[in-house]
Amino acid sequence: MIFARRRLEQTRPRAVGSRNVELSVGVGMCMALALMVVLAPWLTVHEPDANVLENRLQSFGAAGHWLGTDHIGRDIWSRLLAGLVWSTSAAVSATLISLAMGAILGLSAAGSDGWPRATIRWFTDTVIAFPGLIVAVCVIAIIGQGWLPMVLTLGFLGWPVFARVTYAEALSLMQRSYVTNARLQGVSRRSILGGHVLPGVLPTLLAMTAFNCADMLIAESALSFLGIGAPLGAPTWGNMLAEARQYLLRAPWLVFAPGLAIVVVVVAANLLGDGLTQRYRQKGPAPLL
Amino acid sequence: MAPIRGLALFPLAQSSLRKLRELFFLLFSLVTLLFFLLRVAGDPALVLAGPDATEAQLAAIKAHYGLDQPLVFQYFNYLWSLARLDFGISLESGRPALTVVLEALPVTLQLTVMAMLLTIAICLPLGAWLGIYRMRGSRRVANLIVFLAQGVPGFVAGLFLIQLLSVKLGWLPSIGRGGLETWVLPTLTLASFLVPKLTRVISTKVSETLGKDYIRTALAYGASPRTVLWRHALPNALLGAVALIGAQFAYLVSGSVIVETMFAWPGLGWQLMQSTRTLDFPLVQTLAIFIAVLVFAVNTLTDMSFRFLDPRLRDTGTGS
Repeated sequence: MIFARRRLEQTRPRAVGSRNVELSVGVGMCMALALMVVLAPWLTVHEPDANVLENRLQSFGAAGHWLGTDHIGRDIWSRLLAGLVWSTSAAVSATLISLAMGAILGLSAAGSDGWPRATIRWFTDTVIAFPGLIVAVCVIAIIGQGWLPMVLTLGFLGWPVFARVTYAEALSLMQRSYVTNARLQGVSRRSILGGHVLPGVLPTLLAMTAFNCADMLIAESALSFLGIGAPLGAPTWGNMLAEARQYLLRAPWLVFAPGLAIVVVVVAANLLGDGLTQRYRQKGPAPLL
Repeated sequence: MAPIRGLALFPLAQSSLRKLRELFFLLFSLVTLLFFLLRVAGDPALVLAGPDATEAQLAAIKAHYGLDQPLVFQYFNYLWSLARLDFGISLESGRPALTVVLEALPVTLQLTVMAMLLTIAICLPLGAWLGIYRMRGSRRVANLIVFLAQGVPGFVAGLFLIQLLSVKLGWLPSIGRGGLETWVLPTLTLASFLVPKLTRVISTKVSETLGKDYIRTALAYGASPRTVLWRHALPNALLGAVALIGAQFAYLVSGSVIVETMFAWPGLGWQLMQSTRTLDFPLVQTLAIFIAVLVFAVNTLTDMSFRFLDPRLRDTGTGS
């Protein structure tokens, strides 16, 4: 049994500034993806919707289409890039909505007492108990497909997690002497929350944001895959997978490009989240930053 | 909110009461949200009557279903019928929504429970194995694979599984529900939603437990590492992990929507997709209510088992 020895080694605290591979790789991947989003129009020669029926269902490495073509002859690489823009913008926007709502409500709950706090907490507890994907399916089916309905739905379903964490962390930060100090000096409640408590909560929220982006991307592509997220025919990874599923027997390779694309982005966001978590844990309690 | 005084001596009764109140609020807000969204989005009478109905037919349908009344009226009527456990009639099939849901419920339950069992069977040993030893060589590689697998969304994994087991190897049917062989792919797919994530959680948990003081004490007293591992560390770590798995049940229920749609299994999720497509208002509502209750019930049971399994939580009584 080796674990006994390992434990002794592990009791040594990890050195400050030791290599944080997750963070570097995560930041690198995310920056590369961001660059691809920005440069998307210049990285392809085909329009994502341009279809040439003679060229349909070509495999990898076909002339002019290095990732092949889909069932109506559209270039897969072009659609992949267009999907990157569509999906990541949706995931990031939804996350930002959740983050903003969660942070504001969490901070307000921590900063107030009596019925405002009780109401916010009740609201949070109720929405967090919603079976998220189920409600998203219902709501989007009702209010209609498209980028904006989906972003709004996912954003409004995702905020309670942020609110809970913000609330819990803010409450413990409010016990700190520097907050008491500020209060005694007559700093208004709002500036204490915004200027003294929020910066302390921020590192945790940052890591959560990265993880949440990954979850939102999965949710977005799952909804599109089910046929209720993106409009039919829009170049998104979920749609591409749904289309590829129809041609599993004739063109099995169609699944790989969009499938792997989702995996790459999710892994990048997860790495970023892990890296951020580690970074702030290493450097000690957040408010000292 | 203030605890109910007479019940203060009975923490279980009190917490059950609180849970019931939570469930009530949950259902109330869910029903309200869906009701008004559905009414804003489309006129159910139009769905009922079909595209080429005349004005007179439309009016007749509205009158028959009470859709010509003010919205607030309809809302309270609807709440009142729900309170009497009257879930309405499915607009598409004309059968009671409750019957449709009760037919679909066992399918979803079977699927999720099977996937849950499979998940536990894979995650516990794998997670424990990864957690016990230090990260070197093969374990490091295994850990990396688990991390990468965590980035694979369940439905993508499902497509890859169909690709491999059904298209390439031809072992299993890729769609439908029938004999045992049709169960394998959906169960595997749904299990793949959770396996990587839980494996990581469990390995962290085991690893943390091994760092606890009581383990060091036991080792210092001269207990053999094997005894310490099997008698003290693993039971503690894994019991907690089982409760964690239970907490993920909601995630599986959500995942079952995708899996059922992928494999054309007539469960709750499949019904939900069908009924939202046709704006079958009573059925959507009933399905959402049942899924919410199901998820809530499992979460509550997990909470309670958490308390039961972990004596440290038992005495704290009311934690939120």
